[in-house]
Amino acid sequence: MDPAASLTQPALWPLTAIVFLPALVAAFLSLPIVPKAREEFIRWTTLLTTAVVFVLSLWMAWPQLFGAAGPAQFKLGEPGMQAVVKLPWIKAFGIEYLLGVDGISLPLVVLTTFLSMLAAAASWPITKHVKAYHVLFLLLVTGMLGVFVSLDFFLFYVFWEVMLLPMYFLIGIWGGPRREYAAIKFFLYTLLGSVLMLLAILMLYFTSDLRQLAPEQLLASHVVSPALDAAAQADAVKAITAAQAPVHTFNLLALAQIGQLPNSPFAAVQLWGMTLEKWAFLLLLIGFVIKVPVVPVHTWLPDAHVEAPTPISMILAGVLLKLGGYGILRICYPICPGAGLDFAWLVCGLGVVSMVYGAFAALAQKDFKRMVAYSSVSHMGYVMLGLGVWSAVAGHEYRWDAWAQGVNGAMFQMLAHGISSAGMFFMVGVLYDRVHHRNLEEFGGIFNRMPVYSGLAIAVFFAGLGLPGLCGFIGEVLVTLSSWNYSRVLAVISAFTVILTAAYILWAIQRVYLGAEYKGPHGDHLTPITPRELAIATPLVFFAILFGVAPQILFNYVTPSVNRQVETLADWTRRVHDAAPAQPVAAAAPRIAP
Amino acid sequence: MDIAAQLPLLLGLAWLAPLVSFVAILFFGPRMGPHGRNAAWVATAAIVTSLVLSLFAAGTWLGAHPVQAAHHGAGGHGDGDHGESHAADAAGHAGHASGHDEAHGPLAYAGDWYALYEGGALRLTIGWYIDALTVLMFVVVTFIATCIHVYASGYMHDELHDVTDHEVHLSGGGHLHRPGRFPRFFQALSLFCFSMLGIVIAGNLAMVFIFWELVGICSWFLIGFYYERKSASTAANKAFIVNRVGDFGMLIGLMALWGALGTLHFADSPVGGGEPARPGLFSLVRPAAGGHAIQVPDGMVKFAAAAEVAKTPAAEVAGKIDGWRGMGLGRWLLFTAGVGIFCGCVGKSAQFPLFVWLPDAMEGPTPVSALVHSATMVAAGVYLVGRFYPVLTPDVLLVIAYVGAITLFIAATIALVANDIKRVLAYSTVSQLGYMMLALGVGGWSAGLFHLVTHAFFKSLLFLCSGSVIHACHTNDMRKMGGLARVMPWTAGTMLVGCLAIIGAGIPFVIGLSGYYSKDAILAQALSFAQANPAHSILYLAVAGGAFLTAFYMFRLWFMTFAGEPRDHHVADHAHESPAVMVAPLVVLSVLAVVAGWTLPGGFGLANLLEQARPAGTAEGMTGGFAFGTLVFPAEHLSHEGAIHVTATLTAFATALAGVVLAALMYLVRIISPAVVATILRPAYAFLAGRWYFDELYHALFVVPVLGIAKLASGTDRGVIDRIIDGLAWTARQLAGIDAWIDRTLVDGLVNATATATWNAGLELKKLQTGHLRQYVMFIVVGTVALFVLASLLFRTSIAG
Repeated sequence: MDPAASLTQPALWPLTAIVFLPALVAAFLSLPIVPKAREEFIRWTTLLTTAVVFVLSLWMAWPQLFGAAGPAQFKLGEPGMQAVVKLPWIKAFGIEYLLGVDGISLPLVVLTTFLSMLAAAASWPITKHVKAYHVLFLLLVTGMLGVFVSLDFFLFYVFWEVMLLPMYFLIGIWGGPRREYAAIKFFLYTLLGSVLMLLAILMLYFTSDLRQLAPEQLLASHVVSPALDAAAQADAVKAITAAQAPVHTFNLLALAQIGQLPNSPFAAVQLWGMTLEKWAFLLLLIGFVIKVPVVPVHTWLPDAHVEAPTPISMILAGVLLKLGGYGILRICYPICPGAGLDFAWLVCGLGVVSMVYGAFAALAQKDFKRMVAYSSVSHMGYVMLGLGVWSAVAGHEYRWDAWAQGVNGAMFQMLAHGISSAGMFFMVGVLYDRVHHRNLEEFGGIFNRMPVYSGLAIAVFFAGLGLPGLCGFIGEVLVTLSSWNYSRVLAVISAFTVILTAAYILWAIQRVYLGAEYKGPHGDHLTPITPRELAIATPLVFFAILFGVAPQILFNYVTPSVNRQVETLADWTRRVHDAAPAQPVAAAAPRIAP
Repeated sequence: MDIAAQLPLLLGLAWLAPLVSFVAILFFGPRMGPHGRNAAWVATAAIVTSLVLSLFAAGTWLGAHPVQAAHHGAGGHGDGDHGESHAADAAGHAGHASGHDEAHGPLAYAGDWYALYEGGALRLTIGWYIDALTVLMFVVVTFIATCIHVYASGYMHDELHDVTDHEVHLSGGGHLHRPGRFPRFFQALSLFCFSMLGIVIAGNLAMVFIFWELVGICSWFLIGFYYERKSASTAANKAFIVNRVGDFGMLIGLMALWGALGTLHFADSPVGGGEPARPGLFSLVRPAAGGHAIQVPDGMVKFAAAAEVAKTPAAEVAGKIDGWRGMGLGRWLLFTAGVGIFCGCVGKSAQFPLFVWLPDAMEGPTPVSALVHSATMVAAGVYLVGRFYPVLTPDVLLVIAYVGAITLFIAATIALVANDIKRVLAYSTVSQLGYMMLALGVGGWSAGLFHLVTHAFFKSLLFLCSGSVIHACHTNDMRKMGGLARVMPWTAGTMLVGCLAIIGAGIPFVIGLSGYYSKDAILAQALSFAQANPAHSILYLAVAGGAFLTAFYMFRLWFMTFAGEPRDHHVADHAHESPAVMVAPLVVLSVLAVVAGWTLPGGFGLANLLEQARPAGTAEGMTGGFAFGTLVFPAEHLSHEGAIHVTATLTAFATALAGVVLAALMYLVRIISPAVVATILRPAYAFLAGRWYFDELYHALFVVPVLGIAKLASGTDRGVIDRIIDGLAWTARQLAGIDAWIDRTLVDGLVNATATATWNAGLELKKLQTGHLRQYVMFIVVGTVALFVLASLLFRTSIAG
């Protein structure tokens, strides 16, 4: 594609701005011309930047709000990738600046921009190294958004790492007393995940061969841009198919197409007794589940949360954990479907173990924030379970709608948890800012002292409890209902979790908000909620209710894309997996078609 | 307007009115007059609106479907007589209810307002299922709620000014002073009414579950209304968590249905476009083609036969289903579904073994106990069993019957010795709910729901009377009362009516209070069942014995409270009759407690109204069962006839009379001393006074282990997983040390400008870090930066290439 034409792609500037505007402002703020002492200016600039990015993402997601829809804006009901941006980056390795959104990533992008804005507003109480904090914060935002819109695996990885570093410093410098320990733990865990992911990326890259794809598949996966005219398309296709050596690719869509081929090279190559597909799936899975996190690789989370400042906890719980679920959905399953089917028990099992273990651990916590952190482990377990039941097969009946329900539920759970967990951490932060402790045994009577705050907080905690009418319910119930067809045992255990969830949330509410009098130190600092805090808490509660009452608002975005991916993979199961028992992959599978 | 459009509109608005009130009070409550006084008016206006709309709906219903005397002619749907009364009407109206299905169901209208989730054939929706039972429940709930709103506006007047809570002892000595929260009470009450009506109108089980949870949380708010009291907030948590245990079972039931059948709708839903309607649960389990006889639906058979299905070519599956069904495949699944849904009802309706929360729930204000914890919410479980009845197999029904029997017996025995007036009523509620469950379980669909309605009237009356007493005496302890009839004649009189109603007083075969009819129906059906299944005769004995215990403890309560001489003059001197705003609802409810069971000449009455909603295929009884031997469920109308009816009525009369006489001997004329009885039967008395030690048992069996596992999980994180991670970190640090040494000694001359710059940048960052940045992390940082350097090097290569 000639450079001039590529710069006129309709989504180029909007998507690029959403991702890089925060980084740009961060670069500006880091310049010496911005004096460290002008803290208010830095704060307002950051808040304004995140607000602009939020509005931009809203402009993409909800065109009706801004008048007629342009070509870069999202078309509801369209399942495929939209607003694709494609520029060459590192030609020698076929690495591209390839961005795009669909119904799976766009809601997560909007969630990220929304929570970033609220977190920026929640950053006012930060008084240490204000300038450095905000620079790192904005870099973090760029990293997160980049991960969600990247369609090139290498680019994805770069953003993944970009996100990691600011987080390390944000916890390690602005954290609580044990911040160094927590930051290092976070870093070690996530770095381990990154290294394994890098291994898998390289494995897939060097095994991939674009020549195996048909021209329409090359077009569908944007290896050859559909924006080109017919002649240019044919040339580009020919350049690939006529190549002498294998043409490797980092294109996630193309990798998925290759992975779903009947003669997928990933399933053909054997390494130490397993197919490469399985190795890649497991390595990627480990990388992603550390982020989710699932038991037993979750212990970074409670420490990171407890030590991190409130806005960083909001981002961490609200967005970072979703990256893991997103990665599994976007990368693991489409690229390695055979391994996904064979390891479904692992994904579901990890999910259910996390749900129960996290809930039990939350019940035992004395630290308010730690309890909320463990509730995240438990809630993200639902996401894993929902993604995992994807592979459910019932005899001859390819009930794709039952799988789709699980995945839709998992997606909804991610979005809902983004709101409720960010809300819960914020609510804990409001108290901590006043009395400087989080000991659950030393609260009580807050309802009478701070009625408005307590009302909002209880609403948010109820959303976490999965109360109907609030956002937490829909995802949980969809996932739980869908799990029955996969495994009765796991379904029963996951249903059991509702008891534990009610127990730890209600017990915490009782100890903190109810009761006659406050039992801890600094009681006289328990002042009513400030307008700034109210401005952060109210939108969270509002959306918790809105998405609980009208979940279709989100499903309108999510369902078409999820359903198509699930249908594709259901079709793959029937077409490739079950139809070819001679292949080594299928031979290893428990279910063999007659 | 077409009735099929009119009913959902009327009842939908009746359902939403309290929600409007909730939102209004939530935002503007404190500004509604001095101390939010007018919040009571807003909430009452909303519930009156609901009542009027419900009555309107009832009128519409009766206009279209006049209630006639029940047809007691034997025979099923093939029978011409029966077909005329139900099927003929249904054929005309089922079109609205279930698209173009030719099912001869009861008269019902169903539809959806909107979907929560749609994916493929799976739909979770908010919708309606309206039949005579729905309309009746709407009227009952809104009517009782109206009475209680009026009553509460008087009862809660303490909350209109600052309150001193004498039950809260502050650490600095003294009691808690707090502002009143009058509006908040009505706000929660409104939300409760909305949630409760949501259960009643629900068109599918998912919606039931949603509002099931919502009434749970309203109950949590209302039990914990005095949230400064530890006992209140603990009771609130206990109620919600115990209910969630039941919901756990309910979820399993939902999953069993959803997983195999892919629907939770009660009725068939039209698809449109000339396609056949998507069958709902009722027609799946009782297909019209099979004469509405219960059978394991195809989906469950296929689910259970998954292994067989996988071996069978797709085209042949349909032909083999009947064979698999014959082998019994899928019947456990249907059993699981039924028992699972019933588990939810066990929690909500406080049945054994989950009844422990209800007595504690009396921590809430008394109007709440009357509305939520006796008349409506706890009856929701019974309502759901009645609603879900077509799907319940004989084995499930037997489980329900036994759970009901155990519950009614245990609760009645505890009520014998309780001294807290509200707790006696609470255990009485548990016991009466057990009656209803038992009735449903022995095939008395109409009997159980009939008792649900009559009980709602007289139990709310009893609770409101107790509230009036507590309001006057400022104590719940009956041992401090006595002789109150003189100062509180209205309360005493109306409560006597309530007591007579609950024991089923009446002149045998002539006339009686409402409880007389409903209790007789239960007794008769239980007897009929016991005769058909001699192995389960104990169920009849439980009902008859329970009737005796009920009469005893209710009149013990009345005598201890109102009769004789005052035991505590301090209490008696301050006692006074309650204000008119509280007495008026008592009078209204006591009238209904008398007449609710009557059938007017021409056949109009609750029992016949209920018959309109009778699920298809249940009128002629049922025979079946696989887990507990073959069970015979005699048709309900058989229990109204001949010997069974006479025996049941006389038994009810005799047992109730015996109970009242014994209570009179002990507490009125005091020939038998209760203290002596208690001494003679000391172990039994202690056992009952300790409430069979269920709380202690559950604490030891469940609470302690759960907390133990919680500690273990938390400890594993710190003690095992973190130890491993820290060990790894330590190792990494040692390696980093070696690395550093290599760097210093070997790489020295090779370090280029980029690396130095990176190192300096790292040092800058190190300064930023207030603590000591460990060396090995530094190396990781350098490594990551190196990655970017590598990337840019690659970039250069690409330009070169």
